[in-house]
Amino acid sequence: MSIKFNDITKYYSNYKALDISECTIRAGAITGIIGPNGAGKSTLARILAGLDKADTGSIQYEGLLQAGDYNKKITMVFQKPYLLKTTVYKNIAYPLKIRGYDKKDIDSRVNNIINDMELQNIKYQKAWKLSGGEAQKAALARALIFNPSIVVLDEPTANIDPSSIAVMERMIRKAKEQLRSTIIIVTHNMHQAKRLCDDLIFMDKGKIVEKGESLQLIYDPRYETTKRFINGEL
Amino acid sequence: MEYILKGLTEAFSLLLSMDKEVYGIIFLSLYVSISATVLSTLIAVPSGILLGTIDFKGKKLVVRILYTFMSMPPVIAGLIIFLLLSRRGPLGFLGILFTPTAMIIAQTCLVTPIITGIVYNGTKEKGKLIGSLAKTLGANKLQALLMLICELRVNLLTGVITGLGRAISEVGAVMIVGGNIKGHTRVMTTTIAMLQGMGEYSTAIAIGLVLLLLAFTINSIIYHFQQVE
Repeated sequence: MSIKFNDITKYYSNYKALDISECTIRAGAITGIIGPNGAGKSTLARILAGLDKADTGSIQYEGLLQAGDYNKKITMVFQKPYLLKTTVYKNIAYPLKIRGYDKKDIDSRVNNIINDMELQNIKYQKAWKLSGGEAQKAALARALIFNPSIVVLDEPTANIDPSSIAVMERMIRKAKEQLRSTIIIVTHNMHQAKRLCDDLIFMDKGKIVEKGESLQLIYDPRYETTKRFINGEL
Repeated sequence: MEYILKGLTEAFSLLLSMDKEVYGIIFLSLYVSISATVLSTLIAVPSGILLGTIDFKGKKLVVRILYTFMSMPPVIAGLIIFLLLSRRGPLGFLGILFTPTAMIIAQTCLVTPIITGIVYNGTKEKGKLIGSLAKTLGANKLQALLMLICELRVNLLTGVITGLGRAISEVGAVMIVGGNIKGHTRVMTTTIAMLQGMGEYSTAIAIGLVLLLLAFTINSIIYHFQQVE
């Protein structure tokens, strides 16, 4: 499912946080959004996930015709995940439960993703007893369990351990390959962007400076600002 | 010191002998305070959630007024309800002054802002985050509301229990609108105040012990749930 957006602006008081004239995110690809702090990455991610409204402009989600579809097919994982005050199992089962799946189906799907995400040992652990990495893996599992068409990830691996990062990246790739989800990932980590993303969008001061295939953008950026960011000078 | 010890001994024997008057006072106190807390909860929980999740013009002023009412002295609440319910007052025709009903109304007025304030603070802190989460998981509005209530359960319970604690321990409002009439509107706090003035310490201590026990139970419940999560 591709996403096209035009003339998007977003203001916070008088501050223009976002000003994008046109952009298309490829269907079924992993698109990374990179840029320095305050570039508008998270603002754009929240708008694309339908959590915030842009002040102007339009967003078209190809294949989603009715407004009600958005909630059921788009999901987002936040940098600091919020897990419901219950067990890991019940957290992951929640999206299926509210969609009316039967118990047997829920159990089989939840157990599959728990195995994939290496969460077996903490399956019945209460959410508030989890480490940062465990909580983030549980949040990703909960987001992917209902086969969303669009997955927006806002720095999902920031401040977590390398083994959890590896599991999460594997699951993100799996979501792309098996579920054919369109994945948007906000990241500060250029190594991760290179490993994971098909396309990259570089943002600065609320604008999209450059967009292209990830390797091309990383190794042969068109603009000086992009080059400086990639070299760690911005 | 001797009269305190004597008072304590007599207090225990009064409690153990199941003294009808003492237990009548305890049950009336519980009836009035629990009824007021239930009524307050029905008003305060939806109000606190709404205030915490919806932005509107003048919200800051509403919150400031709410905080003011949270610390309203019970005698003021009692006086206002007394003036409204007295024979010459706008609600005098109801004829409920100096009845348990008037005491329930006064305590409801005292407790509602407290529960609303606590629920508002919890909702303000987590409401938007939980709202966003509900949306990202595909919950509809009713499911999102249920999720919010479920996630704020410790906060809601803390509000209700704090409200009950306030209701059962206040003396000013129930004294003014209830009148401390023996066998009719006499509750634990008004009894203690009256008996202290009369120098009859044993019954006052007996009732005081029950009040302390209730306060301990109430605080233990709050502590337990806050520790669990």
